[in-house]
Amino acid sequence: MTNAEINERIPKPIGESKPRLDNREKVTGAAIYADDLQFGNGLLFARILHSPHPHALIKSIDTSKAEALPGVKAVVTGDDFSGFLGLYLQDRNIFCRDRVRYVGDPVAGVAATSEEIAVNALELIEVEYEVLEPVLNPEEGVKPEAPLLHPDLSEYKVANFIFPQAGTNISNHFKIRKGDVDSAWEKCTTIVERKFRVPHIQHVPIETHIAIAQWDETGEITLWASSQSPFAQRNLIAQALGVSQSAVRVIAPKIGGGFGCKAGVSMEALVVAIASKTKGRPVKLALTREEEFYTAFVRQELIAYFKMGCDANGKILAMENTYYWGGGAYTEYGVNVTRAAGYSSTGPYEVPNVKADSICVYTNHPVGGAYRGFGMPEMHTGLEQCVDELAHKAGIDPVKIRSINCVKEGSITVTGFKMHPTGLSKCIEETAKAIQWGQKSPASAPNKRRGKGTAIMWKAPAMPPNAGSSAWVELAEDGTVNVGLGGQDLGQGAFTVMAQMAAAALGVPYESVRISSPVDTRYSPYEWQTVASRLTWSMGNAVVNAARDARRQVLDLVSEAWDEDPENLDIRDGVVVSYKSEQEQPLKNLVIYGLPKPDDQGWMGGPIIGRGKFMPTYVTGLDPETGQGTRSVVHYTTGSQSVEVEVDLDTGRVEVLRGVSAFDVGKAINPALVKAQMEGGFVQGMSSALFEEIKMVDGFCQNPSFVDYRIATTTDAPSDLQSIIVEVPQDDGPWGARGIGEHPMVPTAAAIANAIYDAVGIRMTSPPFSAEKIYLAMLDAGIVE
Amino acid sequence: MAYHKITFTINGEPEQIDVPSNMTLLRMLRERLGITGTKNGCSAGECGACTVMINGEPVNSCMILAVECDGSEIVTVEGLSENGNLAPIQEAIMESGGIQCGFCTPGILIASQALLNRNPNPNEAEIREALVGNLCRCTGYVRIVEAVQEAAQMV
Amino acid sequence: MHDAHPSLPEFDYIKPKTLAEASQFLAAHAGEARPLLGGTDIFVRMRDGVWKDKYIIDVKGLNGTNGISFDPVKGLTIGAAVTMNQVSAHPDVKKHYAVLADAVDKVASYQLRSRATIVGNICNASPAGDTIGACILLGGVLNVHGLDGARQEPLTTFFKGPGSTALKPGDVVTSLQLPLSPTGMVGKYFKLGRNKSSDLSIIGVTVLGFPDETAASGYRIKLAMASVAPVPLVVEKVEELLAARPVTDETIADAAKAAMEGCTPIDDVRASARYRKIMARNLSQKALTEIWNQLGR
Repeated sequence: MTNAEINERIPKPIGESKPRLDNREKVTGAAIYADDLQFGNGLLFARILHSPHPHALIKSIDTSKAEALPGVKAVVTGDDFSGFLGLYLQDRNIFCRDRVRYVGDPVAGVAATSEEIAVNALELIEVEYEVLEPVLNPEEGVKPEAPLLHPDLSEYKVANFIFPQAGTNISNHFKIRKGDVDSAWEKCTTIVERKFRVPHIQHVPIETHIAIAQWDETGEITLWASSQSPFAQRNLIAQALGVSQSAVRVIAPKIGGGFGCKAGVSMEALVVAIASKTKGRPVKLALTREEEFYTAFVRQELIAYFKMGCDANGKILAMENTYYWGGGAYTEYGVNVTRAAGYSSTGPYEVPNVKADSICVYTNHPVGGAYRGFGMPEMHTGLEQCVDELAHKAGIDPVKIRSINCVKEGSITVTGFKMHPTGLSKCIEETAKAIQWGQKSPASAPNKRRGKGTAIMWKAPAMPPNAGSSAWVELAEDGTVNVGLGGQDLGQGAFTVMAQMAAAALGVPYESVRISSPVDTRYSPYEWQTVASRLTWSMGNAVVNAARDARRQVLDLVSEAWDEDPENLDIRDGVVVSYKSEQEQPLKNLVIYGLPKPDDQGWMGGPIIGRGKFMPTYVTGLDPETGQGTRSVVHYTTGSQSVEVEVDLDTGRVEVLRGVSAFDVGKAINPALVKAQMEGGFVQGMSSALFEEIKMVDGFCQNPSFVDYRIATTTDAPSDLQSIIVEVPQDDGPWGARGIGEHPMVPTAAAIANAIYDAVGIRMTSPPFSAEKIYLAMLDAGIVE
Repeated sequence: MAYHKITFTINGEPEQIDVPSNMTLLRMLRERLGITGTKNGCSAGECGACTVMINGEPVNSCMILAVECDGSEIVTVEGLSENGNLAPIQEAIMESGGIQCGFCTPGILIASQALLNRNPNPNEAEIREALVGNLCRCTGYVRIVEAVQEAAQMV
Repeated sequence: MHDAHPSLPEFDYIKPKTLAEASQFLAAHAGEARPLLGGTDIFVRMRDGVWKDKYIIDVKGLNGTNGISFDPVKGLTIGAAVTMNQVSAHPDVKKHYAVLADAVDKVASYQLRSRATIVGNICNASPAGDTIGACILLGGVLNVHGLDGARQEPLTTFFKGPGSTALKPGDVVTSLQLPLSPTGMVGKYFKLGRNKSSDLSIIGVTVLGFPDETAASGYRIKLAMASVAPVPLVVEKVEELLAARPVTDETIADAAKAAMEGCTPIDDVRASARYRKIMARNLSQKALTEIWNQLGR
């Protein structure tokens, strides 16, 4: 849509907070999630034998005793499946073949008639390992003497924008070399240098990973999965098994949260593989919560070194940032996190001189996948604290330094991409105003200290340059609309906003639109993945195109029947109207049966079926040595968060009193849903800032359960959360819309850390900012005794 | 392993069933009775997704054996509405936007209804304390708390 | 935990009809049978494979296990099967044993407290047990039915180590008895977890106090701590210090310091020993000050 088109009237129900279309089934318990599907007595239950070592060679596996156990229908190992899996880098087998690379790596799988028998069968599998020295830290992993996790790295298939380094543990290295940092330091009056360590965290969807697979006698596979990515799962599993994508059918029922962990392929491949040996009986694999913590995808860990400098006016002149990403045992997905952090490595600022290295390193830790924010929360946690520190050191207000340096329309970004119109400055202004920046409010007790902090962010959808969406629109005899799409509603409300957009583009009431779900790759149109905050924009465009195509077909038909120019026709509230002759014709019947020719001379038209697609065509490559290119990304969503905290001097405990978010979403298709993302993202960000860490010791997760992996509860979340919508339209978004799903989690940890600094003068360089860490830091700094 | 014949009512309907000793109430509901509204989030009594009402009290159904429920009255999320009429808390949570993925919703609704049953006019702190055993990862809890406040007003 | 069973492993559920039957079965199957009250500890450990009992003996409903009653002479008797929510809501508990209600309200979540029991919390003997401190300081005594019949076990000598108590095979605890609390007694439980509520304690401090003319200061103030020692810890020194001299901010500070010095916390996944020790002092300081304020300084 051009800006001119956007400036036309915005049709209803765009911009209305319509109620979710799946509300009722969710409150009555009728909504069907993967584990609710009924398969009858033929269903088999799978359990996986996991590696007990962080790094080891597999010398032998004896499954004979397990196979002999009555009730066991299949036992498989890596010997049975030689194919590779991977979204950007195919570095992973379905089951380990010669080597295990993390505690949790799948070594064997069993299907049995009951879960109990499957559990017992696992105990009968004998595996001999030769334990190897593990790599436990990405900075250790890049050293030449580090043990090599993937000796065959050079042989893996890899996307052409990822650069693994053979003979090392480095699976990607993204570089920015822009301007001249070395001489820029001399022009800086203030320089700040800091190291930050962000540990692994897990997504913690309340529904763990669940998948059921079944092969029929012709070799066609059906996979039911709690999934964000039915089409990507179809594609990757088909490739790994060496079968046609059309032979793999993926059905995605309601999903109990994803946050990125149910994107790509992880445990789904295991159950498909096991089911290949069960003679057509379906097999279910449900991860326990413990397995969800240590065998499913996690977020990468990051060790980041920042150096940045500004001149006397607060203009940031240079940044030198090095990011060591602990990608875990397999980085098939994480290599792109590295890249995304590289091409966004300055944060949302215009910096003329940049040296950045974003390095993805194999470690013998759980597998880093896609996690809400895709590298941005980890990076901003340290970067936004450095900007604060720079401001303090230079004697400039931290909000002011951001306003000076933040990207604006026309700014040259870190890759040379010229920034599109953005409301970032407005976001900064709004959150500062809402938090009453600059005013200190009194602490609630003598043993407490209050502080305020701000952090800003940017993020672009991280995906291949040619990730596409498609949609169809058809109508029933009574004029109601059915929209086919391939993306998932994870809870963000995608189905609701797609129905709103289809209704607006077609000219029918919102209530008459249904989304064809669950997504089923046999019947639904293609969608790359539900990730990257891309659906509202990309799938939205496809749905709008499909609806407009249907609309055109209807108007062409009616214009012929009425002998009028289609320019004078419109569809409003499900009725075709002529502005010229004032004739009206409801969509009813004509959308299936067409319209009669005059004098009973036959019929014209037929079933209306609109189709639409969207794929960005303008993302260019980036120079592998400098990271420069014409267009690194499709667009950036930007935003700001300000928080007020209170620190308890007796315990170190931080209470987040209130938070304000402002994000530029281009156009809020459904404002209530946009605000709900801001609230949920804030609390998830706050939770990661204060509580969350996968505690790894020598490659073993110490806290794989809710008892010791704490997430925010009702009493931790603040009641005062303000969400401000800023709208600077995106030129190619539907009515200007841009994504929001990930962004509200990105700046939160940094904003809280900056507020802690404001309160007690302690710089927190490693989340979680637990009460203990803060107290002991205050103690060591002499702030408390 | 021993089996036990038990009888109970579920959402007002009497049932009788034979269950093994180690079957939790959650498993019995989902796997034997096909009542799948109640969800499994952790099997360890931590997340609250499995919350049901037993004799009026909210309980994590993953932490109680089916056999222990002999003679009990059990209410699940499916039992909150009557003849298709939703309970105030169900209407309120739809209205306030307190549902995203919906997986925590059944447990939240039962725990909230149980709260309103014992405390018809709770303040915000009481609401948050009563729901501390229900983890939600999507919403940030704001609109859930609003829903309970609204439901309290609706009665 | 890495090998947690998806649900629960196999076992036989036994519901004995009498205490004698229960004791006999438990003794006959010592090492592979366990009494069941609320299940909130048992089921977690069985899933984790820590406890592998073949028999789970449901002792709820046996003689003396149900019901909570207050007697103006004997004090409060809490049946083993009484849930924590029932204890907290009971008017006599709120009136005469407020410190226990306060501790109960800080355990886990409302759902868990619909099942968890005080007696179960005690018998589980975790040093982190939130309600144990109050029960000890209140002078609690367990009524136990064993192979040799009924006996009593005072809580002061009940705890041997983490998870280890004076109970023998065949023992079934039927109730907890709390003697009448002294007039004018006030008490509170202070808990520090990683997040605001529902966590296991990093450290917990139970304080209660009452006017007592036999004390030089005129007051008896007692303090117990959770999660700082292998067993729930009563710091006798606190009572001594605050009984010997008039209670002032200085003596409170000394008592808080004594609490810190009296405990031996460890490093674990939840917190470090260093932090726990200092928090022992800070939380005790806070607790003692608040109780002193309530006693009417």
